[in-house]
Amino acid sequence: MFLRILWKLLGASRGRLAVALIALTSGAAVCSALLNVNLDAERKLTQEFRTLGANVVIAPPAGGSEAALADAAVLDRIAALRVPQIVATAPYLYVAANSGSQPVILAGTWFNQVAKMNSWWKLEGGWVSSRDDHEHCLVGFTAARQLGLAPGSAVQLRSGDRNISLTVAGIVTTGGAEDNQILTNLDSAQALAGLSGRVSLVELSVSGTPAEIEGVTRKLADNLPGLDVRPVRQIAAAEGTILGRIQGLIFWTIALILVLSMLGVLASMAALAMERRQDVGLMKALGGTVPRIMRLFLAEAGTLGALGGLLGFLLGVVLARWIGERIFGVVISARFEVLPITVALTIGVALAGAFPLRLLGRVRPADILRGE
Amino acid sequence: MVPLVQVDQLEKRFGEVRALDRVSFDVEAGEWIAIMGPSGSGKTTLINILGGLDHPSAGRVVVDGLEIGSLGERELTRYRADKIGFVFQQFHLIPYLTALENVMLAQYFHSITDEKDAAEALCRVGLSDRLSHVPAELSGGEQQRVAIARALINQPKLILADEPTGNLDEANEAVVLKLLHELHDTGHTILVVTHSQAIGNLADRRVELEHGRLARISAPSLAKE
Repeated sequence: MFLRILWKLLGASRGRLAVALIALTSGAAVCSALLNVNLDAERKLTQEFRTLGANVVIAPPAGGSEAALADAAVLDRIAALRVPQIVATAPYLYVAANSGSQPVILAGTWFNQVAKMNSWWKLEGGWVSSRDDHEHCLVGFTAARQLGLAPGSAVQLRSGDRNISLTVAGIVTTGGAEDNQILTNLDSAQALAGLSGRVSLVELSVSGTPAEIEGVTRKLADNLPGLDVRPVRQIAAAEGTILGRIQGLIFWTIALILVLSMLGVLASMAALAMERRQDVGLMKALGGTVPRIMRLFLAEAGTLGALGGLLGFLLGVVLARWIGERIFGVVISARFEVLPITVALTIGVALAGAFPLRLLGRVRPADILRGE
Repeated sequence: MVPLVQVDQLEKRFGEVRALDRVSFDVEAGEWIAIMGPSGSGKTTLINILGGLDHPSAGRVVVDGLEIGSLGERELTRYRADKIGFVFQQFHLIPYLTALENVMLAQYFHSITDEKDAAEALCRVGLSDRLSHVPAELSGGEQQRVAIARALINQPKLILADEPTGNLDEANEAVVLKLLHELHDTGHTILVVTHSQAIGNLADRRVELEHGRLARISAPSLAKE
């Protein structure tokens, strides 16, 4: 009988319940969309952040000799740790060289790894695609201007009594120290400097939240004794701040939307409560206890909340896709863990909005039956 | 034999207004009592107190051994479900429930629902073809018959009817009175509030109120003899 009455209640005040359902569905849709964006945006943004340069640097201890170098075997030890968060590993060996009479810094590295973590670098000409390419180099924008180099130019570099000849593949603008350097294959730099098997530092691109990055840093430090493992704090902090602000914005927007939805439901339910006074008075006269009568009305509100939450979730997925494409330029996929959260929140809002119905418990049947 | 209803020095005040003033009378099981009097004489207040819808201000009201004034809200609710069958002038049916469901609603609040019993109750009042109709699809007389079926479904000790024919035309009034007669003949105890002398004359006794006081108790059947 409970379900039978509940079904009839839902059909009895379709207009007012439809208004409440629209308020709940709209609120749930925005919540679902924002929760989807929140979950997906964090993943997508941390991926995006990983194209903005290294966020962990491994180098010989500071305070030592300026020319302190690490054994290149460190690269094998990092690989052996199999840390899934490490997106790219780029060793660097810096060599003071001369191009003709002009001094220049030659940086030997792995181009394929540098490309992974610095996709935002501006390039004129071509990239050096192979890690084993011993013939080409990239030249920083400032160094190219000083040395009069352009893509396709040949450049002779000398360090001590060793020479190498390279062809300029492209000119890079990075906004950093690389603008003053010539970048070439690590082996070539080691050969020119006579420092086979040595590197100046290793840059890592580590994905994840600031806490996860901190965790990876600790793990590396524990496994690489004698080397400094330092997170690039400005980048980690900036990433953390951006993610924190986005999450804060989403949290408060959801809270605001839920309150607004509740007010919408409250307005409908207040009108509904006036309509239901007669019914409640009669039910009490027939021997209905307040909890038993209220269970009916709260079940009605809860059902409305569940329905609103479900519809809102589906609409929210569509909305999240739209937001993802328009704002983040990524496809945000449906996250089904958002469904129970959305439905639970919407049921909570519906029950809170049904407060006027709960006041019906105070109705005195004698007053109602008298026609007051 | 102990009377089913004992009303002793009953008072009900609404602020300064004394709606009932030291009213006393008894009702035996199986009696049909007409409560009569002009508007504002306290008839509905009396029936509300007997039905557990209102509390007395003073005096005692005992129904089937229960003193109404001493019952809390929860006990009064149980009392209404177990012992009272209400029939109202305005019918007071739930508009979105069918005739059958309106009867089952009283079962639901009493104990458990039994659709077959509810349907039989409606058949007894001549509504076997109206089970699935909502009140808006029923005439006034039919709605009142649904209300009577609902009042009877839990086999109450006392049927309280407040102007049960007040909103009915003559034909429907006759149908409802016939039903009340049948209930009386089968041993039900009935208290009917009415303005109508004709209905009052059908009762075993008439309890007449004036300005909240008991004016007289008469037995129309004796007068007729």
